[in-house]
Amino acid sequence: MAGPGDSPVTGLRIPPGAERPQVPATGTAGPPGGGAPDGGAPDGGPRTRPPARGLRLGLAGWLRWGWRQLTSMRTALVLLFLLAVASVPGSVLPQQGIDPAAVTQYYAAHPALAPILARLSLFNVFAAPWFAAIYLLLFASLAGCVLPRTFRLVGSARQLPPQAPRNLARLPLSASYRTDLPPGAALESAGQLLTAKRFRLRTGDGWVAAEKGYLREVGNLIFHIALLALLGAVGMGGLFGYKANRLLVVGDSFANTVTALDQYRPGRLVSPADLQPFSVTLNNFTASYITSGGQRGQPSSFNAAVSYTAAPGEPVRHDSLRVNHPLDVDGVRLFIIGHGYAPVFRVTDGTGRVVFNDPVPFIPVEQNGLTSDGVIKVPDANPTQLGFAGVFLPTMIDVGGRLQSAFPAALNPRVSLLAYAGNLGMNSGQPQSVYQLDTGGLHRLPIAPDPLAVGQSMKLPGGAGTLTFTGYKQWISLAITYDPGQLPALIAGIAALAGLLLSFLVRRRRVFVRAYAGEDGATVVDLGGLARSDAAGGFESEFAGLAAEFSGTQDGRRFVQVVARPEEPGSHDHDSSVRGASNGDPARGEASLRDPALREASLRDPALRDEEGE
Amino acid sequence: MTLAVTACAGGAIAQSTPVSNGTSFVPGGPGATLYQPGGRPAAPSVSGTTLTGQKLTLAGYRGRGLVVLNFWGSWCAPCRQEAPALAALASHFQAGEVRFLGVDIRDSPASAQAFLRDYRIGYPSLNDPGDEIALAFRGSVPPVGIPTTLVIDRNGRIAARIVGGVSYDGLKALITQIARPA
Repeated sequence: MAGPGDSPVTGLRIPPGAERPQVPATGTAGPPGGGAPDGGAPDGGPRTRPPARGLRLGLAGWLRWGWRQLTSMRTALVLLFLLAVASVPGSVLPQQGIDPAAVTQYYAAHPALAPILARLSLFNVFAAPWFAAIYLLLFASLAGCVLPRTFRLVGSARQLPPQAPRNLARLPLSASYRTDLPPGAALESAGQLLTAKRFRLRTGDGWVAAEKGYLREVGNLIFHIALLALLGAVGMGGLFGYKANRLLVVGDSFANTVTALDQYRPGRLVSPADLQPFSVTLNNFTASYITSGGQRGQPSSFNAAVSYTAAPGEPVRHDSLRVNHPLDVDGVRLFIIGHGYAPVFRVTDGTGRVVFNDPVPFIPVEQNGLTSDGVIKVPDANPTQLGFAGVFLPTMIDVGGRLQSAFPAALNPRVSLLAYAGNLGMNSGQPQSVYQLDTGGLHRLPIAPDPLAVGQSMKLPGGAGTLTFTGYKQWISLAITYDPGQLPALIAGIAALAGLLLSFLVRRRRVFVRAYAGEDGATVVDLGGLARSDAAGGFESEFAGLAAEFSGTQDGRRFVQVVARPEEPGSHDHDSSVRGASNGDPARGEASLRDPALREASLRDPALRDEEGE
Repeated sequence: MTLAVTACAGGAIAQSTPVSNGTSFVPGGPGATLYQPGGRPAAPSVSGTTLTGQKLTLAGYRGRGLVVLNFWGSWCAPCRQEAPALAALASHFQAGEVRFLGVDIRDSPASAQAFLRDYRIGYPSLNDPGDEIALAFRGSVPPVGIPTTLVIDRNGRIAARIVGGVSYDGLKALITQIARPA
């Protein structure tokens, strides 16, 4: 993440405590940690001390060491990898925040394992403390790496080209010509030409240094700033955003307020009053299923027709939610993440009163037939509270005495219930799930769970009451997400990409000009060119063109020759790069004088060296 | 896992969303927030239909004593636990002194009426199937869980909020304290 070259300070460091003593302080090794606290020489660094004394580096030293470790690219990459690994359970296991019903199903399927997984936050990976730890460390690592680099890049982008080296013929590209103009005039004309070509100029005694391609640094800068902005945007989403779920039966409405949400996970700085005050009514829901082939029963399309108001008193608008077509209200997005059936029951209690008349959402336990589980609680039935647990089968078939659902559409809907009476455990005030029946205080009523068709009733024994299956509705489960960092993150991501492209495509290149009086009285103009070696080619011809242009405008005489030298002394396969762009004269034999160390020292300013390190 | 149970207060919601209504409140016990007379947010104008089909506005209660506004649902276990206390307090205080009003959240009329019968609750309850009443309180004291109980003073300003079930003695003391002339 940290650009092509990492700073020298972020390389691998040896922890102070692990350093070996190079020169024993005394002839005999003392006890570990022994020795006089003040006995060491004042200039004695940790390098010359026994291991135990490395601790005397002090808190500041350790902090500095830790910070360097944290902000190294290696750590950032390891953390990035960890983050990726840590997200795996989020896609393998059902997640509380995405599909709470699936978590419930998982609990039912794995009663022993589920509590252990829950303790490890594996059902809520993205809110887990260990996930936050990785994320925050990565954030700190990236910020700590990118921020100082940004400052350095600003410096590098503002820097003037370095002084012209003495011997321009040693540069990767060089040329020379003679002119009758005096050296000063030749330099001036060359400088004007370079300025016209938008080179940044620096002049000295008998030389001109010019540099172009600062856009590369700008691109680099954009990349780094965008990276920081991206981090900020992600953090902003976490602070000011929220996620919620809501199950909505066809015909029902809800408003985006905490009490109306089934699950509500606010960002750190979100208060209940910050929720966008929209209301949504689900008018209709249709689902189509594949009717044949291996994918029979798989959903092929959804359509939820909704009407909504952005705020109380605002006009009512209509929309439909489909796959990949969420509803967007005020920046809040509503997705369908599940759907199912809510059979409607009417319960008359022992006293003859209707004590329940409601659709009850049943939760699918399998997708091919949408067999769904659910419970009905009738806490205000008299003389005793009533409870029911059972299944809804959209298309019931009987396979060898065992009931199952053959298709997700409601072609032959049946509901099969067990009836309970007694104490539901609700009156004690202990919150309980609406999807689970606490049978601890209940006893099962002796009545066979015959599947009921719409309109059929189940008369409970002992005059406890009657349940009627009066119909069914469909429900959808909505994920409500608000992430104010999303758009900034997208913009920052695009900017980062653009900056990276810019820094790859633009090469920074320098042209040096020296003019001096030759032996024959004419002025000798030496040109030298240096470009970043890792960017795409083209500088050679640009340099040759420049040389020809200088020579032409200055009435240059005799030859202009451009010599290209391979950048790396050891790379013989680059010999073919020795080409004359104009009338080449290999007789100059410039390829012999190579002093890479000298060249490095004279040509590269610290900012560029920093970049070219890798 | 538990769709509706999380909306039932006292639990995670109440804890994860601290009240941030400025500087003028002092915590008055677990789940309770007391607003000083100078910093009481105005209760919104709320109107609706009661479970028995009557039109009712909160503004009609203004100047006729305190109002105890209770958000509840028959499906909500803590609401069932606090119901006897509310019913008893409603008959303890004179109607000219303190009036009780319920707001029934995410409920159906059949279940809600069975609840009212069961707990012998005599005061009216507004039906709030689309959460409009809960939403109306977003600018002042948004209910962050069910049950939530608000005590509204004579001037129509919210003097206290209790998130989670109330006890007879606790709510009685709170009402008495707020009713005392300043």
